[in-house]
Amino acid sequence: MPPRVRQPRLQSTLPRPSIPPHQCQCVCQTRSRQFSSTSQHATRQRDDMFRWLNGPGSVFRQPLPGSTNYINAYDKGGNLIRARDMRAGENNGGGAEEKAESKEKDVDEGEVRDLEVDVETATIKHKKAQRPSRGATTNAVPLPKETAEDLMPFPMNRQFRSQSVLSEELKDAIYERVMVQGKSVRDVSAALGVEMRRVGAVVRLKAVEKEWESKGKPLATPYSKAVLSMLPQTPYIPNDPRVHESINDLPVHRATTLQLFQPVSETRHFDRRDAAQAFQRNLLPAEDRIPHRELYLMEKWRYEGVQRDERIQRMRERNEEDFWAKKEREDRRRERERTEVTKVDHGRSVFKFQDVKVDVRAGKDGRGPAGVGARYGVPHQDRKRGMIKIPTRVG
Amino acid sequence: MVLKIRLARFGKTNKPFYNIVVAHARTARNSKPLEVLGTYDPVPKPPPFEEGKPVKDIKLDTARAKYWLGVGAHPSDPVRRLLSMIGLMEPKYTVQKMRQTEMEQREAAQREEAVAALEGR
Repeated sequence: MPPRVRQPRLQSTLPRPSIPPHQCQCVCQTRSRQFSSTSQHATRQRDDMFRWLNGPGSVFRQPLPGSTNYINAYDKGGNLIRARDMRAGENNGGGAEEKAESKEKDVDEGEVRDLEVDVETATIKHKKAQRPSRGATTNAVPLPKETAEDLMPFPMNRQFRSQSVLSEELKDAIYERVMVQGKSVRDVSAALGVEMRRVGAVVRLKAVEKEWESKGKPLATPYSKAVLSMLPQTPYIPNDPRVHESINDLPVHRATTLQLFQPVSETRHFDRRDAAQAFQRNLLPAEDRIPHRELYLMEKWRYEGVQRDERIQRMRERNEEDFWAKKEREDRRRERERTEVTKVDHGRSVFKFQDVKVDVRAGKDGRGPAGVGARYGVPHQDRKRGMIKIPTRVG
Repeated sequence: MVLKIRLARFGKTNKPFYNIVVAHARTARNSKPLEVLGTYDPVPKPPPFEEGKPVKDIKLDTARAKYWLGVGAHPSDPVRRLLSMIGLMEPKYTVQKMRQTEMEQREAAQREEAVAALEGR
């Protein structure tokens, strides 16, 4: 059976004007396509889409400088809500309640199913208004900061809020502090309010970037700039660093995910240390498992009524102890390497001989997994289900 | 029976990895040895911090290796090459040795020539 051809409602025999492809083609074309088997509903949606793209949606083509480019920050007419509110506030002498109310209304209405309702009127309004938000920025009045409502890039997913990313200056500052000034990752993390793992990642990536620059490799700077200009960023203010994220979150230990009923006598003082032991015998209490233990200690001392100078003094001593312990560990490792490892330069490569004791780690039967060499009579586990094949540590 | 210190190839296709083993000379290459002395990874790894030459990793129990050499185990050529690098054995081939043997051969030839010349006269 041949495909059923729907009769078009409007037969246009007139020659079509030549319109550039990004302009609105479909408003005049889709209805008049003769052999299209597309349902009427779909073509209407296409019409609406193109009308939106050329009307209120055209504001997203050129992102506003210093602002995100998210759909929720704009109303149906393509006006930046917070710029409009700001102007309204100036005119009314600050009507906060009214502002909030109107905003809420806009957001509720702004759901996708309502989008098509009065796009027509919005287009006209838009043409009249000619991007008033841009006008606001040219008058050098800084835009207010995005609210939580503005940071929703996906209008259907109201749970997702776009989080700030590190600005380029902040990344540079992190690299500078760690690699040039030689501060510890922990200190830099606490000072700038960036998680330790992120500090490590920034330092590594910056090192790669600098290496590429020195080698003359091209960087995708325009791309990075374009993306960053549309995302919320954490700025770097040297004297007053902004907190980027929560740095002292307690990692969830697997043993603590159990629901546990522990009968305890009323007279017993049951603290976090006991709670940890109830979960698992060698589990450390929460305060020892958090990333920044020193911040906890400072707060604890303050709570105990220790004076500020005394607290700083204690922390200094603690830092010094840590430093020496770390140095000692490093020295011991170097010493071990010096005595155990022999390096022989042999032509194209270096042969690294490590002196080992074969019978110590292989266990009683000589077949322990920690023994040296490939084991005899022990099958490889690498094809087994659930085995991790990617390397989990850097050797 | 002769004891050998030799390499037993483990690893996968195109990914060689050797155990350095002490075994009887007539046993199969990958049969269970008397003792594993260590490992030899012949694939050079990129050097740490991208500095210097690539590195080949060898793990070796030198005390046990010395013991087996002491009781008369024969290292195979590749193992001898490795053991000579850390001074457990005399190397079989060195540039110096090659030059020396070459010189000796040349001298012997010259001597023979001289003898032949004397006899011919």
